[in-house]
Amino acid sequence: MKFIFTLAMKNLFRYKRRTIITAVAIAAGLMMYLLVDSLLLGVEQESERNLIWYETSSIRIHQTAYWPDRQLYPLEKAIKDPRKVINLLKENGWTATERTVFTADMILYSEDFGEDGNLGVLVTAIDPESDNNVFHFEDTLLEGRFLNKGETNGILIGSWFAEDIGAKIGYWITLLTRGNGGFYEAIDVQVVGIVNCPNPNVNRTLIMMDKDTAGTLLGMDGAVTEIDILLPSRADVDIEVTKIQAVLEAAGLSDLEARSWREMAKDYLAIAETKRGGTAIILFLVFIIAAVGISNTMLMAMYERTRELGMMRAMGMSDNHIRLAFLFEAGGIGFLGAIIGIILGALGNLYMVNIGFDLGFIMRNMDLGYRIQSIMRGAWSVKSFFIAFIAGVGLSMIVSLFPIRRALKIDIPACLRHQ
Amino acid sequence: MYKKLPLLLIIGVLLFALPSLLFALTADEIIGEMDRLSTFETTYSIGSIQTTDRFGTKTSQFKSWSQGKKDSLIEFTSKAERGQKILRTEGSLYLFYPDAEQLIRMQGAALRQSMLGSDISYEDMTEEKNTLDNYTAKLEREETFKGRECYVLTLTAKTRSVAYPIQKIWVDKQTYLVWKAEYSTAQGRLLKVMEVLDTFNSGNRVLPKQSKIEDKMKKNSSTLMTVDSFEANPKLDRSIFTLENLTW
Amino acid sequence: MMTKLSKIAFRNIFRNLRRSILSGAAIAVSAMSIVMLFGLLDGMEHDMANNLKSYYTGEVRIRNVEFEKHERYNPLHLGVDWKKIEPILADNNSVVTATPRINFPASMYLGDETHGVMGIGVDFEREKAFIDFASILQEGRVPQSGKNEMLIGFALARDMHLTPGDKVTLLSTTATRGTNAITMEIVGTAGFPVAGLNANTIWAPIDRVQYFLRMGDLTQEILVLLTDGTDEKIVATQIQDEIQAKLGEETETRSWQNINMMYSLFKIAKISYYFIAVFFFVLGSTVIINTTMMIIFERMREIGMLSALGMHGSELTKLFLLEGFFISMIGSAVGVIIGYVGTYYMGKVGLNFTEAFSGMDMEISSILYPETSLVKTVIIWAYAVIISTLATFIPSRRASKIQPVEALRYV
Repeated sequence: MKFIFTLAMKNLFRYKRRTIITAVAIAAGLMMYLLVDSLLLGVEQESERNLIWYETSSIRIHQTAYWPDRQLYPLEKAIKDPRKVINLLKENGWTATERTVFTADMILYSEDFGEDGNLGVLVTAIDPESDNNVFHFEDTLLEGRFLNKGETNGILIGSWFAEDIGAKIGYWITLLTRGNGGFYEAIDVQVVGIVNCPNPNVNRTLIMMDKDTAGTLLGMDGAVTEIDILLPSRADVDIEVTKIQAVLEAAGLSDLEARSWREMAKDYLAIAETKRGGTAIILFLVFIIAAVGISNTMLMAMYERTRELGMMRAMGMSDNHIRLAFLFEAGGIGFLGAIIGIILGALGNLYMVNIGFDLGFIMRNMDLGYRIQSIMRGAWSVKSFFIAFIAGVGLSMIVSLFPIRRALKIDIPACLRHQ
Repeated sequence: MYKKLPLLLIIGVLLFALPSLLFALTADEIIGEMDRLSTFETTYSIGSIQTTDRFGTKTSQFKSWSQGKKDSLIEFTSKAERGQKILRTEGSLYLFYPDAEQLIRMQGAALRQSMLGSDISYEDMTEEKNTLDNYTAKLEREETFKGRECYVLTLTAKTRSVAYPIQKIWVDKQTYLVWKAEYSTAQGRLLKVMEVLDTFNSGNRVLPKQSKIEDKMKKNSSTLMTVDSFEANPKLDRSIFTLENLTW
Repeated sequence: MMTKLSKIAFRNIFRNLRRSILSGAAIAVSAMSIVMLFGLLDGMEHDMANNLKSYYTGEVRIRNVEFEKHERYNPLHLGVDWKKIEPILADNNSVVTATPRINFPASMYLGDETHGVMGIGVDFEREKAFIDFASILQEGRVPQSGKNEMLIGFALARDMHLTPGDKVTLLSTTATRGTNAITMEIVGTAGFPVAGLNANTIWAPIDRVQYFLRMGDLTQEILVLLTDGTDEKIVATQIQDEIQAKLGEETETRSWQNINMMYSLFKIAKISYYFIAVFFFVLGSTVIINTTMMIIFERMREIGMLSALGMHGSELTKLFLLEGFFISMIGSAVGVIIGYVGTYYMGKVGLNFTEAFSGMDMEISSILYPETSLVKTVIIWAYAVIISTLATFIPSRRASKIQPVEALRYV
């Protein structure tokens, strides 16, 4: 057995050029499969991600009484000691940030806006330092700057919103609202930044300000209406919700409850409707092409060795041993190709997941009305890497069986004559 | 003789000041009288409310009954709202719509919605006439407003649950009618202004016939309330202030 | 000279059938996959466009010219007169049908419990060309005009524990800027292919909605369907002009591509998918190129032999080029034919995905119909042929330059 194995390995190195070409062909096919799979998964996850990164976060904590009345944004049903809760979560390994969301009337004056107007808005008051650990707004800044901690008059506004009302950096707006308890309060704020993120709903409606300023304005006494948590993408949300709930109860905070983004998703508009099943078919087609590529290459590589195989037969090696030797070799090439393919796929994936393809250049030339930032990102899938590897090695070996079988069947002289 | 001068002076001052001291009213007393004179055992009135906003002007007519400080019933008679009723009783507000098979109860934050798109919210309507429960009053000065001598008072909200943190009111010295009221935030930002444009007499009381409320935050937004007829202390069937009656 | 080379090329193909079939098969599979991929993408695009047009915009949408400016306040009094506009549309040859709709945000009351919903007043009869309510019903039946009945999204029904027979009260701001409330009976639940509609919407007969919201004969918008193949933008302008001429009224009449937000999202989804298609193309091409090149390398000895026998340079290149050309023509043709037939079949039968969709549980399974396109198929065929022919060009040129002695030594 060891002899056969060594023979196979030596053969691999003997025909370096052929080995490499074949392995590279296999690698290319696998890499393409991995990249397309990643892109498709990324597209699928896009709407989920848009929701989680910009609207719901992975898990949100409210006071229990808040949820049934959530459409009224009741400030009095707030989380009293958010610092304590956040530290508790941090100790247990969760990244969290606090926010207060409240309704207001946005009053526009003609000095800046050309005409007077007012409209009902939802204001999100954040902690500018920790918000970006959970949400992803820092990357979306289009103009101006992000909020500073304790910022007294600055607001961020979504780009479509800005376009709709004609807001520019530096414009002043008045927010008229009802504080905690019901008292009227008004604050003048200035647009310091405009964000453009892939989530159109956010772009259309977002107004952000500093939570300490909002807290003082609204008489919150340090309380906030929600705490948001971001989970790593591979986490099981429902399990984490249960865990968090348990931690909260153990700490005596039983009047707080945690909710997964799925539960909250219903309140947010579903954006682009993508057919999930369609992507499965696309992936299947990719797989077929990659499989054909691998098979083809392998078949040809093996057919070329018919003479050699004949030689081995002539020298008395048993059919089984020969089969095994070639299988090992095929497996070896497949292994090599798979490794290279996976490494290349991983590298490509790193780029696609973290940087992605900016489709903006295509869209700039189309009159879409609203500009939207659309970066196509990939997504990691350990399962796919696994499949790719097994397929690479497995397919190579299975496919090589055919030429081997044929070579073993025909008589030795014919084998030797093979060209 | 000279030793007696300080004493004479003191007595003189006291004699002059006494009448004023005797007759000067405190802010609380003014408010109390103001509230008292605007409260009746029962009332019945017919009036209209005219709203102006960005889209134009609209008028609605209504009939209104009230009982003491706490119960009131409004029924709309204008075409667009015919049959709609608003009942205030037991601290809550109930809306009746002819096409609805259930009463709609307005509570909490829902009360902040405006009635008929006007500058008056449901909350404004449920305002109880016990001003001193919610505000501390301070007499600022006296001023002549629309040819009438008025007390100008500043009311500061006692708790956060009061909608208007600061109110400045012009109260007629004679009739205790509130001619003008300015509603502001705690920082003094002007929110709304109410002004009485015309009055009428009922018995020995003077009541607003036409009042205008302007939302100072929104341009072109104002509401005009007009009382067309008024009856003080009519005989009322008390059951009209019940939920059962509302669904009739 | 060409015909002689062609004959040789042809014979070569058959001489080593295995090799030819291998190469041809790779090309065929790639071509087939690409054809099917595009069929799938076209089907998905069509599906998205359909949803957009059926549920949101129609192919042309008519609204009051002032509406957009005040859209945030949902100004119901800024409507259009259905009774006056409908005859104008009926006269227009490009119009198949039209339907009126009123969108109104409302609070839904069940006892003291209240929930914000989006109400839509529709003419259920006319809607059949847009939304076939009967076919998306999950429980109960379609509401009848003239009755206080409504249809509700299934996810909303489930969350509020409502079933057909239950009554709810809707409170909304009216066209006279007052408020009104009406009690309606839920007579059915529906499963929409657009997820958001399942969680938030209620659908009621438009005549009752007009009454409830004090709109008289006004409707908020009119959605229009045009005959196949007409240019929506042109017809939209046409309709706008006709209404202006006959009624003296200016309206906002736009084709669905000009109704900003929704169409932008649709476009973005399209671009994303075509980006993937490019990737796919590259993959397919890679396989083709790789296979063809491998074959050339495999035949180094043969090349050397031919060289030694006197065939040189461009002739040699041309020979292999021709071989590649013939194989790819046939292989590509086989591939696209299978792809076309396969897509056609799937298009008839439909691809049904009942797997649980991750995330939002307000989605329902639906059927995807891939679409065939003769034009695209032919283009793909041509592309595959060109790519593989080019793929033979480079290695065969290289091979032809090698000294015969070297080539003969190749094993």
